[in-house]
Amino acid sequence: MPDSMAVGEAKAKNRRGVRAWLNPYHYNIERWAYFFQRVTGVAILAYVLGHLGDTSFFVGGPTGTGPNPSAWSFIGSIFENSFGHLILILVVLVLFFHGVNGVRLILAEFGVILHKPSAIEYPYRPRGLGHGQRALIYVGIAIAVVAAVWAFLVLFEGMG
Amino acid sequence: MKESRLMLIQYATAVVAVALVSVHLIMQGVIYPYTTAISFSNILSIYNNGFYAVFLEALLVVVLVHGFNGVRIILHEIRQTRAWGTWVDAGTVVAIVVTVGYGTRTVILAVFGGSPA
Repeated sequence: MPDSMAVGEAKAKNRRGVRAWLNPYHYNIERWAYFFQRVTGVAILAYVLGHLGDTSFFVGGPTGTGPNPSAWSFIGSIFENSFGHLILILVVLVLFFHGVNGVRLILAEFGVILHKPSAIEYPYRPRGLGHGQRALIYVGIAIAVVAAVWAFLVLFEGMG
Repeated sequence: MKESRLMLIQYATAVVAVALVSVHLIMQGVIYPYTTAISFSNILSIYNNGFYAVFLEALLVVVLVHGFNGVRIILHEIRQTRAWGTWVDAGTVVAIVVTVGYGTRTVILAVFGGSPA
């Protein structure tokens, strides 16, 4: 019985689920990238579902039958304001990070940007995580910030 | 379907989504000013162009498959029991079918729904 309890406790410890994402203890930049890839992915999906709903008002919404300027004007009056534009800028920010970091993950998955395996030596740094793939995380952050600035200029300054 | 194949689908949809979303954003803020891009007349002309209507449908399918498959992967990471996996997989398929169906309805009505009301 005590053995089975110990096994149960060990399983529970290993099954922390989403809570484990929120414990930043000993996180390196790759672990943070893992965390943000999932958070931004869920956030983008939530936005896409909302966007699916608001674009449906182009044809009158859920009960519409065809192109409807008054329904489109109605939905625009709700979302086309400073708060709505701020949300769009945040969406652009996380979208570009998710995209660039996602490309990094695909390249790593296929071994393109990983170092060759070597003997494990003190201080046990993860050598497989080469500089190229780590640099891509920072590139992703930089591109996301530039894209967010571009979105700000388009939405608030009328650029484009 | 094998998990390895589903992961390849995730990567393939990711690459295609990067390309399609880039074009979508360029159309919204570079080719046209934003206020012009979201005007009713401009969107109607986009839907009436067969190429762009197909483009938007492809964007819809690729992004939703990638998004819901991504959530499925997260949920499989959180818990690994047979029943949980079955429900998550079934729920993912239902979510994709429903949302793609709703989005496709918008595209079809915009293209074939006749003149503006």
